[in-house]
Amino acid sequence: MSAKDSKTEVRRKLVAGPLSKGDQVFFGTTTVAAYFAFVLVALVLGFLLWQSWPVISDQGINFVLGNNWNADVEPAVFQLGPMLWGSLLIAFFGILIATPMAISMAYLIVFMLPKRLATWATTLVDLLAALPSVVIGLWGLIVFTPVAAGWADILNKNVGWIPFFSVEDPENGFMRSPFIAGWIVAVMIVPIITSVTREIFSQLDRDLINGALALGGSRLSTFRRVIFPTSAGGVVGGILLGLGRAVGETVAIFYVLNLDILHINWANLLEPRGGAVASWILAKFGEAGPFEKQGLMAAGLVLFILTLIVNFIANFIVNKSQPWRKN
Amino acid sequence: MAKVIQLDNKPWLRANNSRRFLIFLSSVVPLPLVMLGAYSINLDMTMSFLTIFLPLQILTAALVGFQAFGKRGIGDAILVVLTVFFSLFVLILLLSVLGSVLTEGFKTISSQFIIQNNVYVSTTTSLDYGGVGHAILGSLMVVALTTLAAVPLGIAMAIYLTQSQSKIRDLVRTLTQALSGLPSVVSGLFILTIIEATQIGRSGFTGALALFPLMLPTVARVSEEALKLVPVDLRYAALALGAPNYRAFFQVILPAAKSGLITALLLGLARVVGETAPLILTVNANNGTNFNVFEGGLATLPTYIYGYLASGYQTSQARAWGAALILLILVGILFGLARVLGRTKSLKSKAKK
Repeated sequence: MSAKDSKTEVRRKLVAGPLSKGDQVFFGTTTVAAYFAFVLVALVLGFLLWQSWPVISDQGINFVLGNNWNADVEPAVFQLGPMLWGSLLIAFFGILIATPMAISMAYLIVFMLPKRLATWATTLVDLLAALPSVVIGLWGLIVFTPVAAGWADILNKNVGWIPFFSVEDPENGFMRSPFIAGWIVAVMIVPIITSVTREIFSQLDRDLINGALALGGSRLSTFRRVIFPTSAGGVVGGILLGLGRAVGETVAIFYVLNLDILHINWANLLEPRGGAVASWILAKFGEAGPFEKQGLMAAGLVLFILTLIVNFIANFIVNKSQPWRKN
Repeated sequence: MAKVIQLDNKPWLRANNSRRFLIFLSSVVPLPLVMLGAYSINLDMTMSFLTIFLPLQILTAALVGFQAFGKRGIGDAILVVLTVFFSLFVLILLLSVLGSVLTEGFKTISSQFIIQNNVYVSTTTSLDYGGVGHAILGSLMVVALTTLAAVPLGIAMAIYLTQSQSKIRDLVRTLTQALSGLPSVVSGLFILTIIEATQIGRSGFTGALALFPLMLPTVARVSEEALKLVPVDLRYAALALGAPNYRAFFQVILPAAKSGLITALLLGLARVVGETAPLILTVNANNGTNFNVFEGGLATLPTYIYGYLASGYQTSQARAWGAALILLILVGILFGLARVLGRTKSLKSKAKK
């Protein structure tokens, strides 16, 4: 080392030469492709804003706060309040159901099942994620709705004094309520939350867990003191990803929910009326005239901005909590 | 005379017989008890499970836990019972979906149902006539058209994400991730605005356009994962041998990541083949067979299901189930292929280590 080496003269400097023609084309193409992500988001935002501007400027802030939607009166009113609140209500209820199921599933797969069974369970959950929403809607309408209506009936009879479970008139039946839509949404977001949580659980430092067990910790205390604190951030991110999906869910909710644009259903889960922005777009699209279509585009714009923000936050949290994925 | 000494390296797994008996008792006894109770007082099955079986199971498990491990056994037992219970619930929901599609679908499906189209078929026509042949064809054409655009672009994005040193790379990645949560109905509305603005006719092509923003992020993300699995040394070796970057990619990285990229393609296909809302917004329905993607209405499997489910007749629901089964089989095939390819890939990468 040292003296002799330092005297060695550098004869030739290493310089990166200019890229060859082929490489220029190669990197140029990939860069353009990558920038296309920006272009796509800008295009979606731009086109929706451009087409829906007449409605948005006409309705103002009432577009998201008011409750009425009528293209036949003069001037036409497009106010989305109940749908927007309904989307959030259904999404929150769905997450409330889905989170314990998803975390249990992930815990079972990572910490309890033998390896072979765990692989099977993972495949099943991924398959659940791949089910098209129209198939879930079909199942939800024909198979699940009668069953869930039965649950709703029992809930209403026994704990109807809790505001969430009270209804105005039990004779209306319990079909097509936010309760059922929430369950359907839960079925669709369980796999998302499960796969994020499973990923995080499986990457936890095993020595930490074994250490906790060796110190005399039980399963419960290990979960509460070691697993939960280290993975909580990522799980929250996964839940937010599920929220994004739940808010944007269209066809499945369309079948199982009675859309009511005139009144906001604040939290009566069992009442057979509610709202969902995406389903509203689908429901109104068929007979919409040009101006009403612009109203629907404005609704789509609101939905897009909402999901974009939720997804940004969710991905940020998930990426932050999975530092091993960075490279 | 070396004697093989069997090391008892997991002493905590040893359980004495009385403990085994207790565990057996606690996990077997509550079920028939609850069944009997529910049967005798005519209680709804799911409700009896929730209100009687679950507390009973927790109680017995907690008792056994206490017997075996003392106080701390109680919490463990409750945790285990709840975990298994919730997970079983997920599995029951999943199997209910799969089971109902399979049983109801197979009642409808026949060779004529797969081949024929929907001309002269109304919601009450008997199931002996008409089918989803035109919708299968339409779905395949639309999805193929989307794939032609989305896969090359998605892979190019993945190359950028893995090879670029640019500062905005993370921004591109974040945006791609956020795009993968794009609600399908918004994608449809976006293309609808373009249709309204440019007055191009609604056809299979506009449907393919609407599916494109949904497929692109999936392909890009999964391809990125696949490209990341290729050891970076391989690329450096190729570059050190004097290969330009594009040849290093096409001759070294691409063959190594081939199965992963095919997985990306298949998962992207599985993502969009069942999308309904964008196609409803951008493609006109059609009862006949249409071979031209660029002109006229086109039926697809999801919109076929949507159309028939909206009317409440028995036969039309049966048609919806049949189409759902075919859609599910399509998704299953894509998904299964992706699984198999993904597994061989991970085996290889393990062997390399």
